[in-house]
Amino acid sequence: MNKLFSRIYLTILIILLYLPIFYLILFAFNKGNNMGVFQGFTLSHFQELFADKRLISIVINTFLIAILSSLFATIIGLGGALLIDSLKSKKAVNTYLSLNNILMVSPDVIIGSSFLILFTVLGFSLGFMSVLLSHIAFSIPIVVLMIIPRLKEMNRTMIDAAQDLGATNFQVFSKVTLPYLMPSILSGFFMAFTYSLDDFAVTFFVTGNGFETLSVEVYSRARQGVSLEINALSALIFIFSLIMIVIYYLLSVRSKKMIKNGKGRVV
Amino acid sequence: MSLLQLKNVTQVFDDEVVLKDIDIDIEKGKFYSILGPSGSGKTTMLRIISGFSKPTSGQVIFEGKDISNFPANKRNMNTVFQNYSLFPHLNVYENVAFGLALKKVDEKTISKKVAKVLQLVQLEHFEGRMIDELSGGQQQRVAIARAIVNEPEILLLDEPLSALDMKLRKNMQYELRQLQQELGITFIFVTHDQEEALAMSDEIIVMNDGIVQQSGSPVDIYDEPVNHFVANFIGESNIVDGQMLDDYQVKFVGKEFECADAGIPQNERVEVVIRPEDLDITTKDNGKLIVNVDSQSFRGDHFEIMAHDEDDNNWLIHSTNPAKESMGIGLFFEPEDIHVMRLNESEEDFDARLESYEE
Amino acid sequence: MRKRLFYVPYFLWIVLFVVIPLILIFMQSLTFDNGKSIFSNYQAFFSSGVYLKMTFNSFLFAFLITFFSLIISYPAAYFIANSKYDTFLILLIILPTWINLLLKAYAFIGIFSHDGSINYFLGLLGIAPQQLLFTNFSFIFVATYIEIPFMILPIYNSIKALDKTYIQASEDLGANKIQTFTKVVFPLTMNGVKTGIQTVFIPALSLFMLTRLIGGNRVITLGTAIEEHFLTTMNWSMGSTVGVILVFIMIAIILFTSKTKKNKVGVKNHE
Repeated sequence: MNKLFSRIYLTILIILLYLPIFYLILFAFNKGNNMGVFQGFTLSHFQELFADKRLISIVINTFLIAILSSLFATIIGLGGALLIDSLKSKKAVNTYLSLNNILMVSPDVIIGSSFLILFTVLGFSLGFMSVLLSHIAFSIPIVVLMIIPRLKEMNRTMIDAAQDLGATNFQVFSKVTLPYLMPSILSGFFMAFTYSLDDFAVTFFVTGNGFETLSVEVYSRARQGVSLEINALSALIFIFSLIMIVIYYLLSVRSKKMIKNGKGRVV
Repeated sequence: MSLLQLKNVTQVFDDEVVLKDIDIDIEKGKFYSILGPSGSGKTTMLRIISGFSKPTSGQVIFEGKDISNFPANKRNMNTVFQNYSLFPHLNVYENVAFGLALKKVDEKTISKKVAKVLQLVQLEHFEGRMIDELSGGQQQRVAIARAIVNEPEILLLDEPLSALDMKLRKNMQYELRQLQQELGITFIFVTHDQEEALAMSDEIIVMNDGIVQQSGSPVDIYDEPVNHFVANFIGESNIVDGQMLDDYQVKFVGKEFECADAGIPQNERVEVVIRPEDLDITTKDNGKLIVNVDSQSFRGDHFEIMAHDEDDNNWLIHSTNPAKESMGIGLFFEPEDIHVMRLNESEEDFDARLESYEE
Repeated sequence: MRKRLFYVPYFLWIVLFVVIPLILIFMQSLTFDNGKSIFSNYQAFFSSGVYLKMTFNSFLFAFLITFFSLIISYPAAYFIANSKYDTFLILLIILPTWINLLLKAYAFIGIFSHDGSINYFLGLLGIAPQQLLFTNFSFIFVATYIEIPFMILPIYNSIKALDKTYIQASEDLGANKIQTFTKVVFPLTMNGVKTGIQTVFIPALSLFMLTRLIGGNRVITLGTAIEEHFLTTMNWSMGSTVGVILVFIMIAIILFTSKTKKNKVGVKNHE
């Protein structure tokens, strides 16, 4: 009885969670022009989508920003994680971590508006570069947070062992530390990538007239009402998200396994 | 000629003296154990030898050359770490090949050498395995293989057996000893386990409080401990206060006994050590000491008997047979079973004194 | 040293994108005008009925959104934690959070709009089209929908972390299932609840995209106020003032729900 109730509850909840998403995708194939009634199957909205050069270039921009920002954020974040890890005093570690996490807990409006002030004060023109810099900036903390636990778990005598076997400092880093951290670096990169793809609010603040990302475009179109081209795009994004999630899931399972075994090693 | 020497090595961490004026001599081709309780400075000593720590003062001499300032990667020694520290992202082959690959040895030679050492540690068919697929004992062997493949002059082992279970540990002790003899290189083995040190070593260096308490062959150290600490730490001992009456005459528990020690000023206060296995149970009439038994427990190969004499000194006895009676049994021992220790005698003075009358 | 060089960009990031923006937004909120108090924006804020009402509204909306997501999420988290397929179920719950928020909001425009699906069904029942979009109800509904996964996850984690022997001990001592829940399970999972409240309440307070798309212009929150000051009326000074106040509210909430455990990473944070 209890079990039945919990099953029903969860089933309804999960259906409700997915309903809007599938609803959106379903109407991407609708012959009609709104999301009211399904009037028959068509691929015309997808054709429209692929013919819409403006939208395609926005999609490309969005991905370009996502790839570049996550790449830079990963490199800078890796440096940050190593920096925090190298600190001896606990107080210094906590100070750095607090500073690191400010952008994690800040509401997007605050990040967006304060960055807007920053770029204006610096006399930076708003557009591709300001969006890219902002995305790098808000993605760095998550990269740091993904790498630090792995660094903490790292067996320090591994570094001794590598030196003992003749490795120079650089070789220790490239042959031991970096490969060991790789799963967490990839997770960090992946998180940064999705942060960038998902962001609307910060971009909305710091972008200029000439540059738009997908989120901003969907926002301005949605304010004008329904356009099934957006549904078609949603369907594609949904499939893309699914692929990303599967990749991330596989990555995290693998790194979890490695971490687990890493711990199990010391009997 | 000695292969490695520590000369006046002192190590201070944050005002705490971890090693005090250490002088040791390591010869080629021998198996050394550095034995001591935790905090005795034995690991610090190993790290100074391997090059992970720089001594506050003093020198590390290797083949006549001062290598005190050489980093670990420039020393011709390799270490087997306590927790093995194998690289989890590499497989067995890659782990073992790591050092050779860094030296840019060609692939063919590497694979030949790796195959050879893996055979030596009995892991011939494990090259492709990941580290996490190995048991503790197998990881241990890989760690040894990874170190010896570099053909170091000295192999340093930092409590490498402490993570293994009892049975495996005994096996590995035997194998390590075998391996050392086969390779003919010097092993320096750090341990807190006195049985392990006694079973494996040519020479034992006993450490406590940052000082070398005694060094010598296992038999010497066991039979003639220099002080209370060594007597207590190596094996089990009955230690009682006594007084040296004359050469070969010592008084303890209110009685006079013949002993084998000399060279100590008359009437000096001393400590007397008798090993539990040197005490034999006999009848009351034949006993040099009369004790009452408090408890007996069976330890597999012997009985451990706790007893006390009329002055309430406790006596530990190891005996093949159990005590039949509990009240008033006799204990017998030979004069050689009595070992007299002077208080605060340094190892040098001790050695000099032994030499003076032992020829 | 080469290693140090690698730390430099991160350090620059902290200075340029964490510390300086906070200083800038604070400076921007102050008034540097002879004859006026340096805090005159703040005085204006706290003496204005409009701003206070807006702040109150923000709190009310955020409270309702947090409340509804909590009462829906706790049982869900509990059921999932006790299920055999918990990792799969939790993955199913998290998955929608990886879909762009804009697209989910957009879906609800379709569902609620005048010629949307709900009104179509109402029409089939002979009911005249209702104004569903741009109402308080639709705003709270959609916001709750979006926040639920963020509430479920920390609670689920705290229930999972709960040592099962506590439950056995409680039952062993004679407590029934309900007593065990109210006296043992719920108090011990308070950390997860707190984290959940924190991760939901702060964004709910500062939402502006959802308010615009779903709430229309009826729902005005601190978030929309900031956006409007910065991007529409170009009154950055007042916008920054609201921003600084929001930051202080945020700090207060974090201290209030001060977590002993971090929100597990793996779910994207959001607006």
